[in-house]
Amino acid sequence: MKKVKISVICFLVLFLALTTMTPATWAQEKLTYEEFSKRKAWFDDPRPYLTDFYKRFVSPELYSKLTYDVEEMKKLWAECVGFRAPDVVGKIALEIKPGTYSYKDKEKYPFKELMIPRHYDRFKPGGPPHAGNFPEIKVIPTRQYYWALPIAKATKENVGRTKLDNQGYLINDSYVAGYPFPRPEGKFKAQQIMYNWEKRYSNFETNFTWQKSKGFTGGLKEDFNTELDSLGMRLHGRVCMEPYGWLDDRAKKEGEKQVSLIKFYSPRDMYGMVIGISYYLNADHFDQNLMYINALRRVRKMSATDTQDAIAGQDVIYEDQDGFSQKLSPKRYPYKFEVIGEREYLIPAYTLDGSVYYSSKGLELRNIEFERRPLYVVKLTQLDKNYVYSSRTIYIDKETFMLVQAENYDQKGRLYRTAEVTFAFVPEMGMTVMFGGLLADHIDKHSAIPLLFVQPAPFLTRENFDFGALFSKGK
Amino acid sequence: MKKLSMLVLIAVFSIALPVSSAMAEQFNALGRPVNIMGYITQETSYGFRNAYDTEGNFNSALMNLFAEGDYTPVDNLKFYASGMLTVDWIYQLKHNDSSWNDKLFSKSRSNLNVDDKYWQLLKEANVTWTPKHFMFKVGKQIVSWGELLAFRIMDQINPLDQRRGFLDIEFETTIIPTWLFRAEYYLPYKPSWLQDLGFEFVYNPNADFISDQGIKVGNADGGIWAPDVPIPGVHMATAYANIREPKRWKEGNEFAFRVKGVIYDSVVTLNGFYGRDNSPVTKFVPPFMAPVPPNIFASDGALLLHPFQEGKYPLLKFVGVTFARDIPPLKASFLGGVAPTVYLEARYAFDRTFAFTNPLSPFPDQRFAESDELTAGINLAWKVKIPPLNPTTYFNITGEFIYQRIMNYPDIEVISGLKRNNYQTFLTVNTSYFHNKLTPSVTWIHDINTNSNFGIFKLVYDYSNKWHFTLGAQFFNGAKEGQGFWVFDNKNQIWFKVAYKWG
Repeated sequence: MKKVKISVICFLVLFLALTTMTPATWAQEKLTYEEFSKRKAWFDDPRPYLTDFYKRFVSPELYSKLTYDVEEMKKLWAECVGFRAPDVVGKIALEIKPGTYSYKDKEKYPFKELMIPRHYDRFKPGGPPHAGNFPEIKVIPTRQYYWALPIAKATKENVGRTKLDNQGYLINDSYVAGYPFPRPEGKFKAQQIMYNWEKRYSNFETNFTWQKSKGFTGGLKEDFNTELDSLGMRLHGRVCMEPYGWLDDRAKKEGEKQVSLIKFYSPRDMYGMVIGISYYLNADHFDQNLMYINALRRVRKMSATDTQDAIAGQDVIYEDQDGFSQKLSPKRYPYKFEVIGEREYLIPAYTLDGSVYYSSKGLELRNIEFERRPLYVVKLTQLDKNYVYSSRTIYIDKETFMLVQAENYDQKGRLYRTAEVTFAFVPEMGMTVMFGGLLADHIDKHSAIPLLFVQPAPFLTRENFDFGALFSKGK
Repeated sequence: MKKLSMLVLIAVFSIALPVSSAMAEQFNALGRPVNIMGYITQETSYGFRNAYDTEGNFNSALMNLFAEGDYTPVDNLKFYASGMLTVDWIYQLKHNDSSWNDKLFSKSRSNLNVDDKYWQLLKEANVTWTPKHFMFKVGKQIVSWGELLAFRIMDQINPLDQRRGFLDIEFETTIIPTWLFRAEYYLPYKPSWLQDLGFEFVYNPNADFISDQGIKVGNADGGIWAPDVPIPGVHMATAYANIREPKRWKEGNEFAFRVKGVIYDSVVTLNGFYGRDNSPVTKFVPPFMAPVPPNIFASDGALLLHPFQEGKYPLLKFVGVTFARDIPPLKASFLGGVAPTVYLEARYAFDRTFAFTNPLSPFPDQRFAESDELTAGINLAWKVKIPPLNPTTYFNITGEFIYQRIMNYPDIEVISGLKRNNYQTFLTVNTSYFHNKLTPSVTWIHDINTNSNFGIFKLVYDYSNKWHFTLGAQFFNGAKEGQGFWVFDNKNQIWFKVAYKWG
C-alpha cells in the first residue's frame, strides 16, 4: 500500500510538471461580464457603446482579418441579391419621412399601413402586459446592409449549387457555403427563404457571447434574471475564419452544423450549470444535448427531442431560439410553407452604435431608430395538430435574410408567443450581430428582454465544446 | 481549524450579505471576475402523531445559510469555496418544553442543533486548473458518479448527511464534500463514432475521515428522526458503538478511476473504485442491549435499551458501468413528441462486508462476513404533454428501479434489512403552472421487499427570482413491522419553507 501511494504521488508530480508547460487555452482576452456591464447598464443607459467597439477591443490582427472594403462589399452583395434596399422601398405611406415621431403621430400618419401589426401595437408608452413599448421613434433613411466579403463571394460562387428535393427540403450534401438562395423564387420560394435563415452567418462563425435577460410578469414586475456566457462555433460552410469549409473531417462525416456551450451564472439555482449542444444538418438526426447539472455535479444526457417545452420558465422554447430554429422536416412536425407577403415595412433599424436602451420606468425602448426595409412574410402552417403551434408568421429581411419577428399561434389560433430579434450592424466587417430582442408570451402575459454582446473568437477549438468542457466550466 | 473555519465563513458572508439585494454579483479582483451568491432558507415542520419517537406538533425549525463564490484569475484557473451554517432553532424554541425534554429530544442538541464542525461550515474549497486537454481539481469537493437520482450505486465517493432524515433539504446540505484530488484527461483526437472520450482519476488521501452521517438510534441521539423499533415495552436508545475509523493519511486512502465517453450519442462510463464504505458495518457485542442509567425508562414507561456494537468501515471495491441515451423511436406526437431518456447503472462489488446474524440464537449473534454484490438500476425520464391537466407545460415523469443481489447470501444466517434479492422503486412527477410560478410534485419510493412506502407531496411557489415558498407533506407506511419505512410510520408531517436566494 505504501508503495502504491508513493507511486501515485510520483506520477502526479510528473503529471503536473509536464502539464505546467501547457499554455492557457485562450491566448486572447475576452470581455469580462463586469466590463460588459460597465459599458452598458440594463436600464436608462443611452451610451453608444458599440461605436468603434470592435476596432478598439478586438486585437489589430484579428480586426484586420475580419474587416473588408465597404464599397466592395456593398457592390458584391447587391449583385448577389439583385438590389439595394434603399432602391426598393419608399412606395407605401409616403407621408412618413425620416424624422422623429411620437405615438400621438399615429393618428396623423398611416403607420398602420407601414408597420408590422405587433410593432404598431407597441408604438405607445410603456405599460402592461409586456415590456418593450416605444413612445417615440426616429425614422431614418433606409440603409443598404451587406455581408462580409468572403460570405458574399461564397454566395455568388455557389449560386444554383444548393438543391431542394421534390418536396422542397434541402439536400444537405449539395450545400457548400454562403447563402444558398440569394434570390428566392419558384415553387419552393418560402422554403428557400427559411433555408437562408438557417444558414445565416450572423454573430461571427466562432463567437463568445455575454447575455443577460430579464423576465417580467404581466404587471411588468421583474420575476426572472439570468446571466450567461456562451461559446458558438459554425462547423460547416466556414468562409471567414479558418479552417474554411468544414471545421474538420468529423464535422463533415457526421454532418455537424454547429456546436454551442452555455454556462449560467444566474439565477442562483442555475449558477454553474453548463449546456453543451451539438446541432446536426440532417433533420432526422436529433441534436445532442448534454447538460452539466450543477445541483448533481453530473453531466446528464437530455432528450434532444424535448424541443417544445418552455426553457426554464422563459418565453421561448428550444425551437424558438434566435426567433426560429426548428429543423425543417417532412417527417417531424412538417409545415406548409407560403410567402404571404413581400413588401416594405417600417421596422427597427440595425443599430450601429448600441445606443438603444430600455427605460426603468415602463420598460420602454428608447433611442430606437426605424427604417423602411423590404421583407418577406412567410407563413408556416403546421400539419401536425399535436405541435405546440398551429402556425408561425415570420418576417425576414430580403436583403440580409435576418429574421425580424416571429409570431407563433397555438392550436386554437391564438397568438401565443412572439420573438423579435434586434441586431447591431458592424459596417467595416459586413456583419450583423444579435444585440437584443423581445420575447413575449401573449397567453400567460409575460415578457423577457435579452441583452447580448457578441465577440469574434477564432481561437476557440472543438475542445472548448467537448465533454471535458462541461465538467471544467461547471460548478 | 474550527476558528479558521468560522473566520472563512464570516469572510464569505461579509462579502455576500451586503450585495444580497443585487443579482449574481460579479466583482473584480486584479482585473478578473469574482462571483458571489447564496441563499438562506427557513423551514418548519409539523408532525401529525404524538408518540414517544415523535412530536405531534412543531418538531423542527431548520435554517440554512449558504454562500458560495468563485474567482478566476486566469481563464484556466478557478478557485471555488462555499460555506454553510445550519441551525435547527427547535432546540432553542423548545428548550423549556416538557414533552420535548421528557422524550429526550433535547439531548440530541449537540448532534443536531448547530452544525459547527469545520467540515460542516466549510463545504467546498478547491482549485480547478484546466490546461489544454486536462482538468485538475484539488481540495474539498464533490465528485458525483452514476446516473440514477434516488439511489446511489456508482456514487460512492462522497458521504451523505442524512441526520435530519427526509426534510426538504438542498443538495448542498446532503452531499458532504471531502478532500480529494481529481485529474481528468480528454482525448483530443477521436474517430467519428467516438464523439468524446475522457479519463478521470480521483484520489482520496483520507486527510480527514468523514463518513455517512446517518439517522441515529434513540431520541437522545437521532432527534426527531430516530426510528421507532417495535419491541413491546421497549424503546431503542443511544447506541454505544465502538466503530474503528481509518487513520488519517495512513489508512482509508481511496482510488477511483473512470473512463467516460459519448458513443453514437450515448453517454457511457466504465468505473472502478477501491476504498472504504462510507457507512460502517456493525455487529452487536455483549451486553448486546441494556439499560444505562440515569435514563432507564422512557417518559411513557417503556424500557430504554441501548444497543452495544462494534464496527468498522470495510473495504469497498467495485467495477461498474453506466449508460444514458434517449430513445427517439419511442417519441409520440400526441404525447408531446419528447422521447424518453433511459439511464442505466450496474455495479459489481467484490467482498463486501456484511453483518451476518444467526436467527436461531437467543441473543444477537452476529459476525462479519464477505460476499460479492451486484447492484443495478434503471431510470426512465419522460416529458409528456397532458393538455387536460396542463395545457401549456409538460409533465416530467421519472421512474427508477433498483435491484441488489447478495451473491453469497448465507443459507441459515440473515443479513439485517437485506435478503438475497432486494428491490426498490421510485417515481416522481412534476409540472408547473402560471409561467413556472407554481410547481406541484409528487414523489413515491417503494421498498418491494418490505412492502413499505414513502410519499412526498410538494408545492413550490416562485414568487420572484429571489423569494421561493414550499409547502410539503410526507407520509410513511409499511406492511412489515420494524422493516423498511415502517420505522418512520409516526413521522408523517407537513412542512413549510421560505427561501431567499441571491445570485
